[in-house]
Amino acid sequence: MLPQSISSRASKLSRRDPTAPLRHIDPVLIGCTVALSILGVIAVYSATRGPGPDYSKSYLYKQTIFMVIGAGAMVFCSVVDYRKLHDWAWVFYGITTALLVLVVSPLGSEVNGAKSWFSLGPFQMQPAEFSKLSLIGVLAFLLSEFRGDVDIRRLVALLATAALPMALIMLQPDLGETLILLAITMTIMLVGGLPTKYIAVLTIVGLVGVVGALNSPLLADYQRDRLTAFVNPSDTSNAALYNIEQSQQAIANGGITGQGLFDGPQTKLGFVPEQQTDFIFTAVAEQFGIIGASTMLFLYGLLCYRIWRIAQVAKDSFGTYLCAGVLAMFAFSAFENVGMAMGIMPVTGIPLLLISAGGSATITALAGLGLVLNVYMRRFQ
Amino acid sequence: MDTSSPRLRMSILGVVVLGCFLALFARLWYLQVMEAPALAVQATANRTRTVATEAPRGRIFDAKGRVIVDNRTSLIVSIDRNELKKVKNRDDLIARLADVLTANGAPIKISTIEKRLSDKKADQLQALPIASDVTDEVIHHLSEYAEDFPAVSYERKTVRVYPYGTIASNILGYTGRITAETLKRLEPGTDPDGVEKSYQPDSIIGLAGVESTYEKELRGTPGIELVQVDFKNRPVGTESYQPPKSGNDIQLHIDIEVQIRAEQALVERLNVLRGTAQRDGTIRGAPAGSVVVLDPRDGGVVALASAPSYDPQEFAVGITQERYNQLQDVNGASALIDRSITGQYAPGSTFKLVTAAAALSNGLIDGNSSIYDDGVYRVGNPVQEFTNAGKEKYGNVNVVRGLTVSSDVYFYWLGDRMDGTTLIQDAATAFGFDKRTGIDLPNESAGYVLTKAEKKALSKKYPDAYPNGDWYTGDNVQLAVGQNVIVVTPLQLARAYAAFANGGTVYQPHVVWKILRPNSTTTDPSDVLRVLEPVVTGTVTLPPDVRGPIASGLEGVTSGSGTGASAFVGFDQQAFRIVGKTGTAQVDGKADTSLFASYGPALSPKWVVAAVMEESGFGSEASGEVARRIYEVIANQALTGAGTATNGSMD
Repeated sequence: MLPQSISSRASKLSRRDPTAPLRHIDPVLIGCTVALSILGVIAVYSATRGPGPDYSKSYLYKQTIFMVIGAGAMVFCSVVDYRKLHDWAWVFYGITTALLVLVVSPLGSEVNGAKSWFSLGPFQMQPAEFSKLSLIGVLAFLLSEFRGDVDIRRLVALLATAALPMALIMLQPDLGETLILLAITMTIMLVGGLPTKYIAVLTIVGLVGVVGALNSPLLADYQRDRLTAFVNPSDTSNAALYNIEQSQQAIANGGITGQGLFDGPQTKLGFVPEQQTDFIFTAVAEQFGIIGASTMLFLYGLLCYRIWRIAQVAKDSFGTYLCAGVLAMFAFSAFENVGMAMGIMPVTGIPLLLISAGGSATITALAGLGLVLNVYMRRFQ
Repeated sequence: MDTSSPRLRMSILGVVVLGCFLALFARLWYLQVMEAPALAVQATANRTRTVATEAPRGRIFDAKGRVIVDNRTSLIVSIDRNELKKVKNRDDLIARLADVLTANGAPIKISTIEKRLSDKKADQLQALPIASDVTDEVIHHLSEYAEDFPAVSYERKTVRVYPYGTIASNILGYTGRITAETLKRLEPGTDPDGVEKSYQPDSIIGLAGVESTYEKELRGTPGIELVQVDFKNRPVGTESYQPPKSGNDIQLHIDIEVQIRAEQALVERLNVLRGTAQRDGTIRGAPAGSVVVLDPRDGGVVALASAPSYDPQEFAVGITQERYNQLQDVNGASALIDRSITGQYAPGSTFKLVTAAAALSNGLIDGNSSIYDDGVYRVGNPVQEFTNAGKEKYGNVNVVRGLTVSSDVYFYWLGDRMDGTTLIQDAATAFGFDKRTGIDLPNESAGYVLTKAEKKALSKKYPDAYPNGDWYTGDNVQLAVGQNVIVVTPLQLARAYAAFANGGTVYQPHVVWKILRPNSTTTDPSDVLRVLEPVVTGTVTLPPDVRGPIASGLEGVTSGSGTGASAFVGFDQQAFRIVGKTGTAQVDGKADTSLFASYGPALSPKWVVAAVMEESGFGSEASGEVARRIYEVIANQALTGAGTATNGSMD
């Protein structure tokens, strides 16, 4: 038995085994990830070092540390067979949901009026970020179990599963993350074979819900202002407009070739609020111009294309749904975040994954890409 | 088609994601390529603040190149009243500031500071100057203990210096801080390099006189520093700096020596006359007067004096209501009026020049036409009598003698003969009366010379002031001797005599002669940016048969039996012959207005001197004396014993 087991294990790693996961790493996805991560660290540093000459390096160091931890998470998520994670999906969901409950309890700390963080010494943890990944896992699990056969009872189960973390995140409140969870849920259900009639009904309900929410007392005034600022750019009483104006000016200031690294005056002087997180795109666009910003968008697009492609070539539907979820997480975060900075999307604070400063978001993003890589590597097994 | 096929669903997802990225790129292109120039301007405006430094104003020279307005720097301590409100120990701060100023050579009382602070007229938004010309020690102390003096600031400012004190202040005017309203409407000029001399809320502008009319030249180009600020508006660096540049210098036609003499002679003469009795026993109030000296060759203004006068510096630092009221009543006259250009007086006999020219040039008389002057002239039915001053009888009088001895009867006769015409008014207009001269100083008056139609219109418009709208022969008779229906400014009077002196050219009087480069020398021709060429506003036709008799008549005035002879006793008329006309205009219930209009030297006139003095008596004894003192400077003749007599010949 022993030799056989050894030989079996050896054969897995043997060069002759054409299905060996390590033979099917996606170099494009990894290349894009590395490039965007490096750009992210540079962008965060440039947005936080200040006008000088005593340049602050704390964000630089922190973000580098997050990247290293995230790289570990990515490796972990790609090495362990994703089908084994299948069984753990509910566990992760349970843990992150529990954290979401705890963060709105007195254990969480409040920053800018939102209880979204746990303070851990010099670091903060944002459980809503991790809940994106756990929701992807659990929805992918459910839909792969349903095998495209979704009736109203199962639909309710799916919606309830998604609604719980969304409701908890709205308690913080964090509208941006809630919307990303909504986008993830809709995407996985679309790809997961939800009957067209349900999709149509959900879309209509969703639209009515958004309009209703904007006109209901559910949203705080500042949230409504932020959401509608891009629609009414002439409403001068709207404080959110300042951010949008400043960020658009900074982006325009980049022009074709950009002001050069560390030479963007708007960035350097800190005119755009939250420019290391929600408005990180302005730092990239001002310093590197349309050449740099569109290269970044291209890398992002290429990354999304690879995830989309991997979703299609996945060995099983669970893998497909996982990838679809991660694709939704990346694509809609990017669209909302960059669109907000350029004034075509509402102001909601969500990070530009891999670029914005923030540990939870960075680790989640890299872990998600690890899962996608996992699915790709094991498409022949 | 199976709408739930995974392949189709993935394609839909792909299209949606691709659409999102294309939308982002389109917007990026719009912002960074299409809208970039416009937005970048906004971005620059956002992150920079403009800090302007006032540049020194241009200097002002007199005709001979002497500096009459200069600049110097002054250390000024100011308090920001908005900041002061936030200071806890306000009274303590002010007491300490007063101590520091007093201990370091700039003594000031707490009450003085409080008084300045309670000034409601000052702009609330700007730091209020508390003390100027403080010592360097004050500044050293304030900068060393800056944290002990919140709301207190100090700066080095360029301020005006007047080497001749208040001399010519009516011409030069004064400067002061721009008001918010003026800032809105004032259009900036440009410097010789074409750079706009923009205005800021704390800019200093000319508020009167030449400082005001030549603001665009005199103003310097402010230094503009573009300071980069961060999002909290804290300065972090300089983006660009354009240093301040001095304004253009200007050179005046004014001769400061003549100006000084004109002002001094005027004030001295008024002081001598005030309180004395004129020949009919009326006490002279002698409150006010003015003098105009012109160059008849180009209309250049050599001197303009007005008494009483004031120190414009009082306005520059802010004047109290009490002091303002005082200035409005100096011996019963306002000191705030430049009478040489705004005062309006009946010209009296000085107007006979015009009446004579009208009669001669229209062929009513020639140089020899004479009448017998028995001291009274009668017109109308019922008969109205008009008499010479003092009912003096001059016997046979032609136009030459009529001017020399100032026979009113002769001119009543001319007025009578020209009744029913506008010949006198037309001649007056030709000599430049009845309209503003266009001098380059603000607030000039126009005077008036009424015609029959105008008198009617006036009466209709203001029935209370002009109850009688009819034109009588008596009106024309009075007009002929410059009374009742005519008022003129001293400047107009001088200009009319200048036109006669130069052969008939009516010039627009000009105070400013040349515009010079900043920091110029008056001797280097390349420093001249432009010369203000004489402007001719009209001509009077003066053929020899018109000019000759009048000139003869006027030449006789200053000697022999002339009405102005007493004023020129001892003046060497061989060296410098003066031609002129006295005037004594009656004012109801008060002493007469004394006038004298003249030019010299007779054969090649280079100067016109006109003086008008209120409630001062006969032409010769007041204005004639002042003119003589001025001619002493002009003709470089030593001061003689003249200038003390209180009685001259009547007109």
